[in-house]
Amino acid sequence: MLEIRNATLAIPGRTLLKPFSLAVAAGEIVTLMGPSGSGKSSLLSYIGGDLDHTLQASGDIVLNGVPLNGVPPHRRRIGRLFQDDLLFPHMTVGENLLFAIASPQDRLPKMRAALESVQLGGFKDRPPHTLSGGQRARVSLMRTLLSEPLAVLLDEPFNKLDAKLRASVRDLTFQHITSRNIPALLVTHDAGDAPSKGRVLMISDDGSVQHV
Amino acid sequence: MGKSKTSALSFAPLLLLFLLPLLLSLLLILPGFADVGAFKTFFAHPQFFGGLKLTLFTGLASTAVSLVFAILITASLLKNRSTEAGAFLALPHLAFAIGFGFLIAPAGLLSRFIGVAFTGATSPPAWVTTQDPYGLALTAALVLKETPFLVWAISAVLQRDDMQRGLRAQLAVAQALGHGFASAWLRVVLPQVLPLVRWPLVAVLAYGLTVVDMALVIGPTQPPTLAQVIWTDLIDADAAMNARGAAGVLTLSFVILLLLWVVGLLLRLGSPYTRKFNSSTSPSLNIPIAELAQIWGLWRLSYAAVGLMLVLQSISGLWPFPNLLAEHFTAKAWQTGVENPAPILTSLIIALVASALGLAANVAWLEWQPTSRDRVMLAAALFTLCLPSLVLGLGEYRLLLQLGLTGTAMGLFMVHVVPAVAYQFILLYGPYRGFDGRWRSAAQGLGTPPWRTLTIIKWPLLKAPLLAAFAVGFAVAIAQYVPAQLAAAGRYSTLPIEAVTLTTGSNRALLAAYALLLMAMPLCVFVTASRLGRSRWMVA
Repeated sequence: MLEIRNATLAIPGRTLLKPFSLAVAAGEIVTLMGPSGSGKSSLLSYIGGDLDHTLQASGDIVLNGVPLNGVPPHRRRIGRLFQDDLLFPHMTVGENLLFAIASPQDRLPKMRAALESVQLGGFKDRPPHTLSGGQRARVSLMRTLLSEPLAVLLDEPFNKLDAKLRASVRDLTFQHITSRNIPALLVTHDAGDAPSKGRVLMISDDGSVQHV
Repeated sequence: MGKSKTSALSFAPLLLLFLLPLLLSLLLILPGFADVGAFKTFFAHPQFFGGLKLTLFTGLASTAVSLVFAILITASLLKNRSTEAGAFLALPHLAFAIGFGFLIAPAGLLSRFIGVAFTGATSPPAWVTTQDPYGLALTAALVLKETPFLVWAISAVLQRDDMQRGLRAQLAVAQALGHGFASAWLRVVLPQVLPLVRWPLVAVLAYGLTVVDMALVIGPTQPPTLAQVIWTDLIDADAAMNARGAAGVLTLSFVILLLLWVVGLLLRLGSPYTRKFNSSTSPSLNIPIAELAQIWGLWRLSYAAVGLMLVLQSISGLWPFPNLLAEHFTAKAWQTGVENPAPILTSLIIALVASALGLAANVAWLEWQPTSRDRVMLAAALFTLCLPSLVLGLGEYRLLLQLGLTGTAMGLFMVHVVPAVAYQFILLYGPYRGFDGRWRSAAQGLGTPPWRTLTIIKWPLLKAPLLAAFAVGFAVAIAQYVPAQLAAAGRYSTLPIEAVTLTTGSNRALLAAYALLLMAMPLCVFVTASRLGRSRWMVA
């Protein structure tokens, strides 16, 4: 379970987010919506541990009962997907996936299995720029999952995909997250991206967070 | 004025000041390849192999160590810290080497300080600290001088808007995937940044392998580096020695090309291993790389110490060891400088004129030449940056001989303006071509004529890069030693020429005063340019 306890967010002279708490259960995807500049992505950065120093934040982040405050980003085991797929351009598709596999055992089989699970079996040695947008999004998703995260933060990851692709990548992402019982927080400004049965929260102009 | 006339007029200044002298200088070196006898005598030089070994060691070691330090220092840049590498670049290599030599000499400030604070020594240590047989002092000075250049080059790439956004996000992803900051930096950021700074790296390597002025001050002497051997031949009165020196210049150029080829080959052969390292998770590299970046403080300290050393040395009278200060202070060296102002004024005037005309020529090109021609100019400028001063100096000297311009003010000006123009173009190219054309459209839409649009809109908005380019041109021009010495033919003296001559004499105070002036003048221009270049407005 991913818990956010009394989290606040501010920039000098302005409160972005008033204190709020949230618990995301295993396999649950909670959607957080709000206008541009409301602090949605910054909240994810705070949870992920790499908030820009110009922002002030407080509150506890707890993952499976373990407090994460002060834990460096790479030790939090929180996976992230962004608007851009951010595949490392100097690595092949396969190398991008290997980069995420911590265990020294069975690295290659794990990488191949991950690619085959998203119908990209023959793409191991391809540079990322030769893939289509949808293919890149799938590789990016598998890369995050191969790092075996205990929670996933989705920062508008479907934004740059066209409508048809968007639905298929979204379904694939949700399916993999829920089937692995990973708690996930999705930030988006498009209500259509939210999972049909999940909770939706809205950040209002005054920085308060309400259930929709 | 017709469009073709404007195009020709804007092409002419850079053609005359830079492209033509560069091309002709290079062409005039080529006949040297036919002089087989000169090559034979050069290879038979008793100091050839010893010099070559030292050259390879000092050049390769200084480049490798500078790169490692630059990587450590720039690791902090994506964590919202900045460096003042630009200010360090303003200080000429020669002036730094003189100050550094004074600092680390057996009776220098460093050993005095160690003696007073720790060992209680009453006489200077017996070991050699400058002009050591292994070239360690030269390597150290090169590392201290070249690291800021590489930091500046890597920073320029990292601080580009597109790179910064992309790399920051990639760093976040890499960390979310379980990699520590050092691992993410070395496996994700660095492999993307290093290929973009390959030209500055080539320039550093070429400089390290061929440096003359620094080597004459603190480099090894028995044997000297190959560049020193060649330089001695080039300035010899005997034509046969000159020919041997010219063969040496060509040999040294070949050594550089060979080394670059070997490095390229090693990188290609090592590629599978580096790829494997990049995509692996072990070793986990949990090293405090961002904290190690604090080593940058060492550069601040050493540059401040070098400056302080030069000030003290220039005003010191009798200064027995181990006293931290001289027994009495005197302005005699400065008086000598004032009484013989020719080298100072020559350097100042030439650097000011070369930088101003170079800037005007660059602006004319960038304003009126089509962008399609930029590639040629950019290639020529980058090539000049990587071209050893021995090669360029020799070519320019032969060109001046052909034109009957050796020992003339015109000839001296030419050899100063060529490198200045190259640096200025590289600096100006990005900001000038990247200028948002909508400003011009908006102004012209309000009825402002083209010339006024330039003078009251475009150039004021580009004030900072224009002034920075002027400062860089000035710093590059004032630091020229090899081409200046050859072109001046003994009829003119500049600050670097005078300073190198003084290194063989005993007037340390005057040497320090000249080195300090050589250091202070570009620094003043940089500070002034940076103050004047500050915007009083914000672009939304």
